Amino acid sequence: MAENILPEKGLSSYRKVRNALLGSLTAVAFILAVTPLLAIVYIAYDRGKAALSLSFITTLPGGFPIGIEGGIANGIVGSLILILLASLLSVPVGIWAGLYLWDQSHTRMAKITRLLSDLLLGVPSVIWGVVGFFVFSTNTGFGFHWGFSGLAAGLTLGFIMIPIVTRVTEQALRDVPRSYIEGALALGASRFQVVRGLAIPAAITGIGTGILLGVLNVLGQTAPLIFTNYYNTGIPTSLVGSNGSVGDLAMQIFIYIHEPSKALHVKAMAAALVLTVIVLLLDMGIRLLAWGSRKYAQRMG
Amino acid sequence: MENGAHDPLVPKIEVKNFSAFYGKTQALHNVDFTIFERKITAMIGPSGCGKSTFLRSLNRMNDFYQGFRVEGSATLDGEEIYSPTVNPVLIRQRVGMVFQKPNPFQKSIFENVAYGLRIQGVKSRSVLADIVEKSLKAAALWDEVKDRLNGSAFSLSGGQQQRLCIARALAVEPEVILLDEPASALDPISTARIEELMQDLKDRYTIAIVTHNMQQAARVSDRTAFFLDGTLVEVNDTTKIFTNPEDSRTEDYITGRFG
Repeated sequence: MAENILPEKGLSSYRKVRNALLGSLTAVAFILAVTPLLAIVYIAYDRGKAALSLSFITTLPGGFPIGIEGGIANGIVGSLILILLASLLSVPVGIWAGLYLWDQSHTRMAKITRLLSDLLLGVPSVIWGVVGFFVFSTNTGFGFHWGFSGLAAGLTLGFIMIPIVTRVTEQALRDVPRSYIEGALALGASRFQVVRGLAIPAAITGIGTGILLGVLNVLGQTAPLIFTNYYNTGIPTSLVGSNGSVGDLAMQIFIYIHEPSKALHVKAMAAALVLTVIVLLLDMGIRLLAWGSRKYAQRMG
Repeated sequence: MENGAHDPLVPKIEVKNFSAFYGKTQALHNVDFTIFERKITAMIGPSGCGKSTFLRSLNRMNDFYQGFRVEGSATLDGEEIYSPTVNPVLIRQRVGMVFQKPNPFQKSIFENVAYGLRIQGVKSRSVLADIVEKSLKAAALWDEVKDRLNGSAFSLSGGQQQRLCIARALAVEPEVILLDEPASALDPISTARIEELMQDLKDRYTIAIVTHNMQQAARVSDRTAFFLDGTLVEVNDTTKIFTNPEDSRTEDYITGRFG
């Protein structure tokens, strides 16, 4: 029995002290990790609650200075458009690149690709913005000449997202046990069948996390938007050209907080709360998708 | 001579002057070896002697290691396994494999067994159900799982999981089954069940087993091959190997002087 193995007085005093010390370090780390979230939610709610209402999220800004009346529907719609555009570009490319790095991990080409991809992770977002401007937005010289537009910003953000999705996808695939892959290969599965039917489903939660990290990164970006989209107080009918700018929650908060207006400051904090809730909903949505596709793959070949 | 004159030995896999390399390291040196149809061939030898490399070479499972290459000839029913015109996927459908550690998929018991058929494009639920039942019966697992086919494969014990992996391999109707230390992670009772199962299966399949356990080789196999340092030292009838080996190194190994 266990009682006979343990000394009568339980742990030695040295181990008790060490246990208490390491235990409190863990607790401190946990508190430090969650305090910012609590602070954000508390401050945003406390300073922004006066502006919160259903019409705040369903109406466009109006009045003068603009935004003093109305809500943030432009920002919500714009942010969602940007996430969608960025994901349309980065999710397929990032997953494909992650698959490539995983499958060919020892080849020289893959090593170079991984290095370059990691370098991109460290590029400051303002540089992405400037390059995005020259490639997509500028109306002179080389480039697409799309103006300050949702498409220019969405694609710039998408390119920022690609290395994040790539990196996390590769890591998630590496975590799939080799024995699992070999089991399927030994049954005469082709490499593509193994990837589609087993490796990706087994890694889907990790891949979902990668997409989420990318999306959240995009949601919080302002610097690239300054150069490729700026801001729109309405909802555009086109995503390119001189009227193609979209609203964006992060930009909206940034602009409102700079206005010398108490009312706009309140709206900025309310918008911050809305942004936090959107993050939460996206997190749960992506988890649900990953869970669903794993369930689906468990039933199917 | 070989056991049972009424039971002629038909070569299934013939290996001639076969060498295998991982990059610059040579893992197998000029192996000449025949695996006969509907016999159980055991491969024994100390760790790192090349027996697993040899086994995995027979269905091209080593192809996935960077820098792996082979020299010489290995044929399945006279067809070169490593011919550039041969599709390794088809080789693996004909030469199934069961691994050291049970590796069921994160799917239901039913879907684990059905996987090999699904990837071949079989969709009919009744055909799948038929073959799943047949395979589970052949792997002596049916009675234990028939009421929970939709349960997770991970709810099974280690021994049951390994029999599930055997059922999974049987479902695609291979001609040869390679067993890579299939019982080394199992308790003695589960091991005994796997060994019984091998005796049942050898009427229909050609079986090659790698084992660390010499008693197991002696119990289950018709022929035994002894590998040492990447070379095939001796291959013969199991009774001959264990009672009157020709090579002194074989004798030293089976009597426990090394390894």
